[in-house]
Amino acid sequence: MSEESGVALESATEDDIDDKPILKPEEPSLPPGEWVRKNLFNGFFNSVLTVLTVFLMAIAARGLLNYVFSEERVWSAPATNARLILTFAYPDSQYARVWVTVGLLAVLTGTSIGLWAQWAGVSAKKLCFWSMNLGSAILLSIVLTQPGVHRDAAGEVLRDADSDVIRKSFSTAMSDRLVWWIVGLAFIGAGLLAWNWLGEMRRRTIRVPSSFLIFGSLGLVVLSLWVVNYGHYAFIDGEFIAISGRTVATTTKQPWTLMWLILVGSFFLGRQIRKTERASSVKGLLNLGWLLSPFVIYWVILRDPAIDYSHVWSTDLPLFLAFAIGGGAVLWLLSYPGIGEAGRLAGVGLVVVAIFQFVAAFAGWYPMLQKVRLSFVLLALLGLAASNFSGERSQRIRFVGVWFVLAALLHYFATVMNAPATVDVVSENFTGGLTVTLFVTALTLMISFPLGVVLALGRTSSLPIFRIMSTTYIESIRGVPLITILFFFSNILPLFLPDGMDIAEFAAIILGYSLFSAAYLAENVRGGLQAIRRGQYEAADALGLTSPQRTSFIVLPQALRISIPPLVGQVIGTFKETSLIAIIGGFDLLRIGNQVIPAQTQFLGIKRENLLIVAAMYWVITFAISKYSMRLERRLGVGER
Amino acid sequence: MSISDAHSPASDDLASRRDMIVCDNVNKWYGDFHALKDVSATIKEQEVVVVLGPSGSGKSTWIRCINRLEVHQKGLIAVDGVELSNDLRNIEKIRSEVGMVFQQFNLFPHLTVIDNITLAPRWVRKLPKSEAEARARALLDRVGIPEQADKYPGQLSGGQQQRVAIGRALAMEPNVMLFDEPTSALDPEMIKEVLDVMKGLAESGMTMMVVTHEMGFAREVADRIIFMEDGEIVEVGTPEHFFTDPTEDRTKLFLSQIL
Ligand SMILES: Nc1ncnc2c1ncn2[C@@H]1O[C@H](COP(=O)(O)OP(=O)(O)O)[C@@H](O)[C@H]1O
Ligand SMILES: [Mg+2]
Repeated sequence: MSEESGVALESATEDDIDDKPILKPEEPSLPPGEWVRKNLFNGFFNSVLTVLTVFLMAIAARGLLNYVFSEERVWSAPATNARLILTFAYPDSQYARVWVTVGLLAVLTGTSIGLWAQWAGVSAKKLCFWSMNLGSAILLSIVLTQPGVHRDAAGEVLRDADSDVIRKSFSTAMSDRLVWWIVGLAFIGAGLLAWNWLGEMRRRTIRVPSSFLIFGSLGLVVLSLWVVNYGHYAFIDGEFIAISGRTVATTTKQPWTLMWLILVGSFFLGRQIRKTERASSVKGLLNLGWLLSPFVIYWVILRDPAIDYSHVWSTDLPLFLAFAIGGGAVLWLLSYPGIGEAGRLAGVGLVVVAIFQFVAAFAGWYPMLQKVRLSFVLLALLGLAASNFSGERSQRIRFVGVWFVLAALLHYFATVMNAPATVDVVSENFTGGLTVTLFVTALTLMISFPLGVVLALGRTSSLPIFRIMSTTYIESIRGVPLITILFFFSNILPLFLPDGMDIAEFAAIILGYSLFSAAYLAENVRGGLQAIRRGQYEAADALGLTSPQRTSFIVLPQALRISIPPLVGQVIGTFKETSLIAIIGGFDLLRIGNQVIPAQTQFLGIKRENLLIVAAMYWVITFAISKYSMRLERRLGVGER
Repeated sequence: MSISDAHSPASDDLASRRDMIVCDNVNKWYGDFHALKDVSATIKEQEVVVVLGPSGSGKSTWIRCINRLEVHQKGLIAVDGVELSNDLRNIEKIRSEVGMVFQQFNLFPHLTVIDNITLAPRWVRKLPKSEAEARARALLDRVGIPEQADKYPGQLSGGQQQRVAIGRALAMEPNVMLFDEPTSALDPEMIKEVLDVMKGLAESGMTMMVVTHEMGFAREVADRIIFMEDGEIVEVGTPEHFFTDPTEDRTKLFLSQIL
C-alpha cells in the first residue's frame, strides 16, 4: 500500500490486504480534445464507426424532436388529463386523501434518505461538465429540429395549394429560437466559467452534496409552478378547463409545494436522527413503516367514502385487540424459559383448538368469523414455535411483538378484503392510472416475495414432500400465460368462493399477479441458493445452529444478495406487466393514455402524445429502479468475494 | 496393528481422565466405497491428538463423523459421554460442544468478523448481545487480531481469516476442538500465526484433534499421533515413538515420503 493513498491510512496496518475506500478515486482526466482522440478516433475503423454512430444518433434525435415539436402534436391532451393519468376518475371531493397519501410517502422517503443515504456528492468538475453538456444538447436540438410552420391570425396552420404545410426558412427558424440559443449558450458559458474558476485547485475536488442537487432541482421545478405560465388546463369531474397565459391552478401548486417542504423537512429530520443514539431503532420503525405503507394507502385511497365505520368500531377492532392482547399473554407465558414440556403440550393443545374450529365450521356447529378461526391458527403456529424464543426478556418481548404485527396484518387483510359487512373496496372505477399501476406492483411484490422465497426453499429442501409441492406449483404456474391467470382471478375465482365470502376484484387481481410472480421469484432465489457453497452449511451446522437459523442467518441473506440482478429484473417485469390490467377491464396507466383520453370529445383520437408521456413515465420509474439496484449491488458487494 | 496403551503419553494421570471422544469400530461407506474401516480410538480430556495420513486415507471423513457432518453406518461414537444418534436435539447439543475449524475457513462472508463470532453464542447459547460481543472481543484478542472486529472476512488475509474461524469456534466454549487441515489453504508465511494460536490453545488444556501435514506441530504439540491409511488406523504412538522408531512398514514409507 503506497504512502500517498491517504484514504486508507488510518486503518492501514501491516497485514491489511484490501481495504476498499468508500470513494473511488477519480480517474485522472484527459483534456477533452485528447480524450476524444484517444477513445473515438484511434485508428481508421474506430473513426468510421464513430462518424457512423454519430450520424445515426443525429437522425434518431431529429426524428424524435420533429415528432415532439410537430405542429400536429396536441400536447394539451395529456396536459389537460394529467389528473386522469395519475389517479383516473378519483372524485374531486375526496382528493385530499390522495395528498395525504403522497404526504405520507414523502415523510417516509425523506426520512429514509436522511437516515440511510450515503451519497458521495457530485464533484464540482462534473457539474461543470453537466452544464456544458446540457448547453450543447440544447444547441444541437435547436439546429436539428426542422423549421416551424406559418400560421394565420387564428393560429391555423397555413398550407399551400397541395395542402402541404409551408415551413419557414432555416435562418428564420434559427432566429425564432433566439431565446433557446441564449439558454444553451448560458449553460455552456456557466460551465466554462466555473471550470476556469476551479482551474487552480482542480486537483482538490470540491463536492456538492447530492441532497442539495436533488432537492434543489425538485425545488426549482416546484418554484416554476408559481412563476412560469404553463397555463391552467384540467379535466375535473367531467369538466374541461383551458386557460392559457397563467400559472397552474392553486390546487396544483399549493399541494406540490407542501409535498416538497415535507420531503425536505423529513430529510433534515432524518439527518438529525442519524446523529443520535436512536438511529437504529428509528431505522427499524421506518422499515416497518415502508412495509405497512401499501396497506395503509390501500385503506386511505381505496376505501369507499361512504363506508360505515360502526362495524369496524363495534366488532373488528375489539376482536383484534382481544386477540392481540390475549394471544400476546399466552405467547409470553409459553416462551417462559423454564416451561419445558408443558409449553410444548400447550402448543399442541392450541393446534387442536385451531383445527377444531374448522371442523366445527364444516359441520356447522356454531357460527364464527373466518378471521377468528385464522387467528387461532396463527396463534397455534406461534405457540408451537414459542420454545425456540424462550430466553431473556428482550427476546420474548420481540416474539410477542411479532405476534402483534402478524395479528394486525391478518385482521387488516380479513377486514379489507373479505368482509361485505364492513368495508367495501370499490375497485376498478374508483381510481386508476399511475396509482393503480404502482399499487398493484407494490402489493404484488410484497406478497409474492415471501411466497417466492418459501417456494425456493421448498424446492431445494431435502424433504421430498416440500420439493414435490413447490416444483409442481412453480412448473404449473410457469406453464400458464399471465393473462390466463388474471382472467381466472378476476372472473372465475369469485364463483368458487364459499357463501358469504367476497373478494374485491382489485384484491383478486393482486392475488393473481402475486401467485404468478412468486413462481418466477422462486426460480431466481433458487439460483442464488444453489450458489451457496457447501462449506457455509457445514460451518453453520458445526456451530450447532438449527436448520431454520441456518437458513435465515446464513443461507438466505447470501442467496438473496446473489439474486439481486434477476430479482430486480423481476421487479421491473412486474411493474410493466401491470399494463395487462387494461385487458381485464381495469384502468391502468396505459389504458388511460390508449383508450380513455382518445375517447374524450375534445381530444378525439389523440393517442400518440399520451402514449409518449406514458412511455416516459414507465421509463423514468424503471430507470430509477435499476439505478437504485446498481447502487445496492455495489454496496452489498455482489460478485466479489 | 496395535492400539495398546504402551504407546500412550507418559503422563501418569492420563488413564484417570475423562474420555472426551470415544470411537468404537466406526465404519463408513460412500456407496460401495469403504471409507472408514473399524476405526477405534479414545481421546482423553486435555489430550492433543494429531491425525496423519496420505491424502484420501479418510482423515476428514473420520473427523467429520465426530460432529455428525457425515453419518457413520456402523459402530459407536460418543462425545463427552453422549452417544451420537439420529435424534436432532442430541446432534445440535454435541455440535455446540464440539468446535470445528475447516481447511477453507468457511467464514460467513456477509457478516462482519464480530458478527461471525457472536452469531452462534447469541442464537444457540442465547447470550445477550452485549455479553456475546464482549466475549468475542476477548477472543479476538486471544487469537491476536483485536483490531479487525468490524471488517468483513473478504478484507482479511487467509491467516487472519483462519484465526477468526478459530475464535468463532471457541466462542461456543467447546470441550473439544476439531481441526481439519487448518493450514493447508494458507500461504506459507501465514501458517505460523495460525499454528501459534493452536499451540496456545493446546497449552491452555483444550482437548484437540488435529488433521495436519505440519510435522513440526505434530512433533512439538501432540500428545499422541494416529496414522491412518486406506480408511483404517495403522499406528498410534507418542511423537517420539512415531518419528524415531515407527513399528509399521506403511508408517515408515509415509514418513520417508513426507520428511
Ligand atoms: N462425499 C463423498 N462421496 C464419495 N466419496 C467420498 C466422499 N467424501 C470423501 N470420499 C472418499 O473417501 C475417501 C476419504 O476421503 P477423505 O476423508 O476426504 O480423505 P482425507 O481427508 O484423508 O484426504 C477418499 O477416497 C474420497 O474419495
Ligand atoms: Mg481431508
